[in-house]
Amino acid sequence: MKGRPLLYTSYEADQGLLNTTSKKVMLGLFLLVLVTIPFQVIPGLQFLGQADWLRLLSTTAIFAIGALGLNILTGLAGQVSLGHAFFMGVGAYTAVWLGGPEDGPLLGLGLPIWIWLPAAGIVAALIGVAVGPTAVRVRGLYLAIVTLGLVFIGDYLFRNWASLTGGAQVGRDFPPLEFRWWKEEVPVIDFTTPSTWFGLEVSGIAKTFFLLALLAGVYTLLAKNLQRTRVGRAFMSIRDRDIAAEIMGVNEFAYKLLAFGISSFYAGIAGALLASFLTRVIPEQWNLFLSVQFIAIILIGGAGTVTGALLGSAFVVLLPRIVQNFTLWLQSLALEGEGLLGAIANVFIATSQTDFGLINTMAGVGPGLSVAQLNLVLYGLLIIGFLIFEPLGLFGIWLRIRNYWKGWPFTY
Amino acid sequence: MRRKPQWLALLLVLGLILAACGDGGSGDTTTTAAAEEEPTTTAAPAEETTTSAAEEGAGEVATDVGVDLEAQTLTIGLLSDLSGPFAPLVQVIVAGQEMYWADVNANGGIGGLQVQIETRDTAYDPAQHVQLYEELKTQVVAFGHSTGSPQTMAINPQLQADGILAIPLTWYSGWSDPAINSNLVPHGVPYCIEAMNMIEYLTLQAPDATTIAIASSPGDYGEDSNAGAVLAAEALGLEVVYNGTGLINQADEATLTEVAGGIASSGAELVWVTTSPTPFGSIYGQALAAGFSGALWSGAGPTWNPALVAPDSAISEPLSNDFYISAYYAPWAAESEGNAAVRDLVTAAGADPLDYYAEGVIEATILHQALQAAYDAGDLTQAGVLAAAKGLESVTFGGLAPDETYVGEPNERVQRAQFISRPDPAGLADGTSTGSTLVESNYTSPIAEAFEFNEACFSLG
Amino acid sequence: MITGLVVLAQATADGNAFAQMLVGGISFGAIYALLAMGFVIIFKATSVINFAHGALTGLGAFLVVAFATVLDFPGRFLTSFPEWAQWTANVLTAFAVAALFGVLIERVFLRPMVGEALFAVAIVTLGIDIVVRTITNDFIGTQPRPVGAPWGLNVIDLGWVIIAWSEVIQIVVTVVLLVAIAMFLRTRTGVAMRATAFDQETARAQGVNVGRVFSVAWAIGAFLAAVAGLFYSVFPRRATGVDQATAFIAFRAFPAVIIGGLDSIPGAVVGGFAVGIAESAANTYLGFEFLGNGFPGIVGYLLMMVVLLIRPYGLFGTPEIRRV
Repeated sequence: MKGRPLLYTSYEADQGLLNTTSKKVMLGLFLLVLVTIPFQVIPGLQFLGQADWLRLLSTTAIFAIGALGLNILTGLAGQVSLGHAFFMGVGAYTAVWLGGPEDGPLLGLGLPIWIWLPAAGIVAALIGVAVGPTAVRVRGLYLAIVTLGLVFIGDYLFRNWASLTGGAQVGRDFPPLEFRWWKEEVPVIDFTTPSTWFGLEVSGIAKTFFLLALLAGVYTLLAKNLQRTRVGRAFMSIRDRDIAAEIMGVNEFAYKLLAFGISSFYAGIAGALLASFLTRVIPEQWNLFLSVQFIAIILIGGAGTVTGALLGSAFVVLLPRIVQNFTLWLQSLALEGEGLLGAIANVFIATSQTDFGLINTMAGVGPGLSVAQLNLVLYGLLIIGFLIFEPLGLFGIWLRIRNYWKGWPFTY
Repeated sequence: MRRKPQWLALLLVLGLILAACGDGGSGDTTTTAAAEEEPTTTAAPAEETTTSAAEEGAGEVATDVGVDLEAQTLTIGLLSDLSGPFAPLVQVIVAGQEMYWADVNANGGIGGLQVQIETRDTAYDPAQHVQLYEELKTQVVAFGHSTGSPQTMAINPQLQADGILAIPLTWYSGWSDPAINSNLVPHGVPYCIEAMNMIEYLTLQAPDATTIAIASSPGDYGEDSNAGAVLAAEALGLEVVYNGTGLINQADEATLTEVAGGIASSGAELVWVTTSPTPFGSIYGQALAAGFSGALWSGAGPTWNPALVAPDSAISEPLSNDFYISAYYAPWAAESEGNAAVRDLVTAAGADPLDYYAEGVIEATILHQALQAAYDAGDLTQAGVLAAAKGLESVTFGGLAPDETYVGEPNERVQRAQFISRPDPAGLADGTSTGSTLVESNYTSPIAEAFEFNEACFSLG
Repeated sequence: MITGLVVLAQATADGNAFAQMLVGGISFGAIYALLAMGFVIIFKATSVINFAHGALTGLGAFLVVAFATVLDFPGRFLTSFPEWAQWTANVLTAFAVAALFGVLIERVFLRPMVGEALFAVAIVTLGIDIVVRTITNDFIGTQPRPVGAPWGLNVIDLGWVIIAWSEVIQIVVTVVLLVAIAMFLRTRTGVAMRATAFDQETARAQGVNVGRVFSVAWAIGAFLAAVAGLFYSVFPRRATGVDQATAFIAFRAFPAVIIGGLDSIPGAVVGGFAVGIAESAANTYLGFEFLGNGFPGIVGYLLMMVVLLIRPYGLFGTPEIRRV
């Protein structure tokens, strides 16, 4: 009996987080890669250790936390929310109120991170539960527009509450990622300046990356576990058929509120981390586009799956950089390349005011789309494409690759 | 069962590979460049001194990031808003920079070094601005511009830590504030001094005026400008009958209606509105519709756009009579040597006439002189370029813009001179101008002249 | 606060200000009503929540600019007609092309999604919004583009209230379109559309060409969005014309849709005018310091929240029937 694949002798084993050997191996490898990235030791992945790529990866970790939250609400409980950006904003401003400098011109209490970070999540969750009753009363697509309203109302509040947010188009600095026990002068651990850890030189951004990756890991584990509990199953039953769930004894109202609360908690944490990571944030940051990005993340990744939320975050955060590099590469081909490849590149790239091209690398004056516009168009097309062709998202693709190799070399 | 296409997965993999390839090349070079934190004097490679740079008598030049003596290139970075609210202006400004540097390159570059430009689109988003700064700082020797005040504030601590020069593409008065500007070289008259100039000029046109209405967009732009406007109104004995500072939100039509209503019902004789062209047109139109006419209007430089008086524009005729254009540089058709040079550059590039090319040329001129000075001093490191820029005693633009200096006390350094134009719809229609004609060059009002500048008029905190 | 109330009392006593407020509210409400109506027609016929309505508005407004000022088509061939007639012909052509784009978008992106979850389809329209808006903005370019409306800045000054010609035309056109659509819904195609809205499969079984109904609905939606885009881009609104931000007006119309009820055309009209007048009233009477900047801009959303608390399906919406 032992060693046979997919044979489980207990529910615990079947529901285990790492129920196959390959999952364990993959996770181990993944963690190893994560830890070594900043030290640029793995051939081919060294570029990821550069400061700008580490920043992108750190952003990915923050977005992953936010996406996990939306995934609980939308993917598990089936409630479409466009209000995620609002709750992120609430988290960020809670964090800055508690963690901002005491003596500055704006609101701030100067408390350490172990207070402001959890508080950001809790306050966002409380506000989520407070607006919940309106949101829970309406269903389906009405909910999408109610939460859309939240973003606009939040935008109004954030822009006007200048003593907390710094005011429209001005913004303020957020507390840095550093650990203090209380308000001592020198932080115990400063996650933004270089130092030596275990005899290794670690740059500031690498430390930030480690911290955020660790936090993302913790929240991933929590989200994954939530899915496997009674609460997670209740969420899914509401998603699949709310009346049927109610008949089976699931308190729809309470569980929807709970889903709102948990999702907002994650959003609040992500918002606080994002603001702290970016150091200076203007109130306009928490806009509809941010919400749409999170919707895109869970759809592209695969709604309802934790892995999908992580894959989707990486995809959405890294996509602009990938497109940018791709166009720069095409541009160099069009300018210098010879032969067929150069000719093809030339068709796509406009290099002067009079040149024809779909993509314009001259800052958008003249014909064709600029790199930024191309980015947006690809982004939109990807959302459309995934929904039409691959509703399970990146996770679905991964699933098929996995299943293919499971039976290899047989088709099934 | 519908067959799920496999090509999506394939495309994805391809994309990732391309990304890896695309970065692989530049990535490798940048890591080596970043690894050499200390400026390396290129005395070591003997064979290098025999290359063309040496033949031109350049001598030894210290370099770190962004200068490749082997390939004879020098790279500068632009942090530009190419898809955000100021994209219309910034796209043209970037094109102006490109034209200028192409011309420099054609004339031998900087000591034989060909200038390359890395432009990144920040979308006016501070988060992206910081991200793209991090990307470019290991590739460029200096930043040819950095769009937006909160954005530039966001990278300012990093600029200081990394010792890199940037030219702010915003006219916030704080850029002349010694507490902030250690790594920045501003140009043009700051918003608050501009407001003093323009309002005093308006009172010269309407000597009997006793009331003024002011309104603006939020943020440093509108707040800074209106801080100056309030000071000027006080000095001139004007009563501020309506104050809509920070009220205008371009995306929110209702705020425009509110401001227009406020201005119209105030019955002011002078109006100072600092925003962007579309909301301005809307406010002006709605005030007009409410029966408000006869006042003189003006606003900070970016408020104006020639499209406001384009042949199809409904408000073209009344606005041409009412509006005074404030500008940081002379308009397209002006007769100075600097303007002629801009016209030549733009015509040579086959582009249509637009005023904003001049801004790109001005920025590039400042950076050019800084780079040249750094090269002459034999130190083309990031720190060397910064030091060279901070030591520039006089940068001249051939009449295109007032001279700049970067040495001395803030009160001596800060720019107070500007240009004033009037709308010229006829010239715009027949192509002889870009919609404005110059009426005052290098204008400084007595109030601005007397204003003691020590710190920013409006604090960004 | 007390001074605020005094101001309020004075303002209410001022009949002229009230009339002016109403004119502004109704004319802006007409734009919202047009947008909301198109949105509802698309939703009724195809069950698609169209987040791309903003993009359709921007596209329509740009097409008006393109046909009326750049191409001057077909006006350039109608030289014997007065200028305003040429302009009208150009604009009508632009509306027709906008409607075609609506059909095209539905065919390419949404037809494959028939039968999928409503939520997934709604998110597809978010993607469409990004794509269409970005490409349109590239064409609009860097400068605002005036639409060259022949009535220009002319106003009718009645002494106690001032009405711009464009506002008059706008309200007349909206009313005409309302009547036209009400009549259209009684025609054969209109009945087919209502049948499809009620139950796609049954309609199909009864011989309704559901695909054609979808196309017609999107054509009408895009057409109405283009009309709204035109009226939004003329004096006294955005006198400078169409620019890259024009598309955002649609977000302000969403509350109108929800207030009226997602699937009610009369509801959309009522909601549109309600939001327009509420914003205008907030502008005129709620200029209190403590409300800060931009309060009128969210009045629509606040109104929507209140309505939803009382009636979760809007004022005229049909409650969803829930079955296991």
